[in-house]
Amino acid sequence: MSPTKLNLKDKYKLLTRDLDWEFSYEDRQEAFPYEEFEGIKITDWDKWEDPFRLTMDAYWKYQAEKEKKLYAIYDAFSQNNGHTNVTDARYVNAIKLFLTGVSPGEHAAHLGFAFTGRQMGGIGARVAAQMQSIDELRHIQTQIHAMSHYNKFFDGFDEFNHMHDRVWYLSVPKSFFEDARTAGPFEFMVAIGFSFEYVLTNLLFVPFMSGAAYNGDMATVTFGFSAQSDEARHMTLGLEIIKFLLEQHEDNVPIVQKWLDKWLWRGYRLLTLVAMMMDYMLPQKFMSWQEAWELYFEDAGGALFKDLERYGIKMPDYTETIKQEKEHLSHQAWWTFYQYTHAAAFHTWTPSSDEMDWLSEKYPNTFDKYYRPRWELAAEMEAKGERFYTTGLPQLCQTCQIPMMFTEVDDPSQVAYRESVYNDERFHFCSDPCKSIFDNEPEKYVHAWLPVHQILQGNCGGGGLDKVIEYYHLDNGAANLEFEGSPDAERWKQWKGVA
Amino acid sequence: MSYQVTIEPTGDVIEVEEGQTILNAALRQGVWLPFACGHGTCATCKCQLVEGDVDQGDASPFALMDMEREEGKILACCAMPESDLTIEADIDVDPDFAGYLVEDYRATVAAIETLSPTIKGLTLTLDRPMTFQAGQYINLQLPGVDGTRAFSIANAPSSRDNIELHIRQVPNGAATGYIHQQLKVGDSLQLSGPYGQFFVRKSDPKDVLFIAGGSGLSSPESMILDLLEAGDQRAITLFQGARNLSELYHRDRFEALAQQHANFTYVAALNEPEPADHWQGFTGFVHEAAAAHFDGKFSDHKAYLCGPPPMIDAAINALMQGRLFEKDIHMEKFVTAADGADERQRSALFKRI
Repeated sequence: MSPTKLNLKDKYKLLTRDLDWEFSYEDRQEAFPYEEFEGIKITDWDKWEDPFRLTMDAYWKYQAEKEKKLYAIYDAFSQNNGHTNVTDARYVNAIKLFLTGVSPGEHAAHLGFAFTGRQMGGIGARVAAQMQSIDELRHIQTQIHAMSHYNKFFDGFDEFNHMHDRVWYLSVPKSFFEDARTAGPFEFMVAIGFSFEYVLTNLLFVPFMSGAAYNGDMATVTFGFSAQSDEARHMTLGLEIIKFLLEQHEDNVPIVQKWLDKWLWRGYRLLTLVAMMMDYMLPQKFMSWQEAWELYFEDAGGALFKDLERYGIKMPDYTETIKQEKEHLSHQAWWTFYQYTHAAAFHTWTPSSDEMDWLSEKYPNTFDKYYRPRWELAAEMEAKGERFYTTGLPQLCQTCQIPMMFTEVDDPSQVAYRESVYNDERFHFCSDPCKSIFDNEPEKYVHAWLPVHQILQGNCGGGGLDKVIEYYHLDNGAANLEFEGSPDAERWKQWKGVA
Repeated sequence: MSYQVTIEPTGDVIEVEEGQTILNAALRQGVWLPFACGHGTCATCKCQLVEGDVDQGDASPFALMDMEREEGKILACCAMPESDLTIEADIDVDPDFAGYLVEDYRATVAAIETLSPTIKGLTLTLDRPMTFQAGQYINLQLPGVDGTRAFSIANAPSSRDNIELHIRQVPNGAATGYIHQQLKVGDSLQLSGPYGQFFVRKSDPKDVLFIAGGSGLSSPESMILDLLEAGDQRAITLFQGARNLSELYHRDRFEALAQQHANFTYVAALNEPEPADHWQGFTGFVHEAAAAHFDGKFSDHKAYLCGPPPMIDAAINALMQGRLFEKDIHMEKFVTAADGADERQRSALFKRI
């Protein structure tokens, strides 16, 4: 026993927080040029309480060990033809959505945290953000590796990076992260560090990871465990940033409230893809979107906002709207993708009669009344060889970039349309919150790269649908269209010895 | 069968049952350890095993890797002791915590005084002097009552042979009922102490305010007497809340102290004064009295709260609205057996408040 052994706090102080220095000949404001322009007032960075004390040397050691373990499992998965052990080939479409829709978001988060890890004036906050930046890079890399095995046997994975900048529905997560990354460092931290990585994270990762576990996808489950050991740090960083900003100055409170209102809505809209994945894409379902929303947002988030009230922060007004929408969201989203799956990098299908019964049970107020008749009609048409696709292009929301498919909360038969006029130009929105986000910062959204507008302007291949699909690098007839009869489905039958 | 687990660097000792996790036992025994997921996947509760053996339970191989297991790392949320243990957790020692040893004492009832219609003052003579920090509590054993009951010490630590307790009768409470109805001068009782992390952070020079409700005056009384005896010069303000005048005990004592000490201010608040009280002072809840006194601005103070849970909650809200935050709020919640039921789900935003 050595009496001079440092405890964790001192070790962290010496090996990490002491890495900062005073600016003796450079102007501090020039060194941290973004610290003030958002209106946030920081009076004392020393009040920052490190959310975790991980020294940089220990960080590298742990992460390297995690990688070793993870890749050993990927190898075993690959050698054992793990892809044949999933519940059904339809499942693989959920992870196509993950790789194309979520993984590039990890990369965007990596860039965003690198920015805040440079621009925040406090060393504790900078170190935490830098570690998270490196984590996010690790996450996209390990996700790509986890999926690379599936890429050998299924269509729709190979061009995920190319597609991310072009395909209509992928502009939703892309624009979400670009909106956050083009904000200042504190808005980014509230947007991604707190709203997304803390408040909403369980609604993104748990559904995908539990979905993987329920459907025999060991590679993705293992990635999930590996990432989760990093997520705890991300969550505690999110909590510390919000407390820190709210405690530093009372003038920060209304700014933080505005950011929370914006980013919880932006995040919720993005989760539309998860809702649809949970309710329609998993052959073996584990929980409905509505149940997940109630558990992770209404209960857990409710408790959080109860505590945040002490700072004068209020739950956003629109949570009542979300409460109403939760019984409709997944159905409207899958219906939209069902119609446009010729331009998507995954397959869609009509739910089986067992699945429809599950949906009736989970959504007793809405499924039989509004959505079952549509699916029955779709199935009937398919049986007659008339599987339909919509060839017109949908109108997109200027803010969230999701097609106009959400209905009025008090009338599920009426699609909601909102609009604002700015500089003599008319802009369209899917909802009141998306409209008010635009109205608050119109200059940020007027030049949004809306995929449908771009197609119509001839910027996406410059021709008809065939040209657009080529521009997307969509392997026409293989990666897109109906699942039944797809090459994925045919290969699966061969592996399973089904005629 | 249970094991003793010593948690460094604070030296807290907890009892962990066979098959119980260290985290579970610690939280139940009022010892805070860092944690998040609670089921072995996030590694927030990672600790160093200094001595002893554990079963690592369901710790995920990513949250606790082989090389860490070899180094003696454990996850408190999964690890179950297989012997008595010493672990080192990522927690800070409060520089103002004296860490006086907990010992068992035999006490004799020296006096029972009626402080208010619902509160008795109990003076116990100990078989030997007890060293404690002002604000701490003891665990008292009562005949025919299962387990022990916690009561805060109301006298200053300078008097070590006797301890004074203020005990409110809890409706249908077995222990407080016994004290109010059956206990007699000369009775002998068993107790242990001192316990608790409620004490004045003297190393922090900021002015202090105390908010006390009901018999929650006990700890603040001890703490204020201790500060004044030591000639502490910082501004000290006590807000004492009671329903009506008959429940407002020790008022004369604090008014006299306020006369003698220029740095001590005393504010009493009655939330339901009787007409016969002819109350001229603050009418309303004690946190409202504090907000009115400080004009709703509490920054640059240390606050100490003691009393029933609703008072504590209301006081925290008032303090935070006045921009005083967790780091500077210390509290002792007087929880009775009946208070457990309405525990709402808590977020991870706050550790202690």
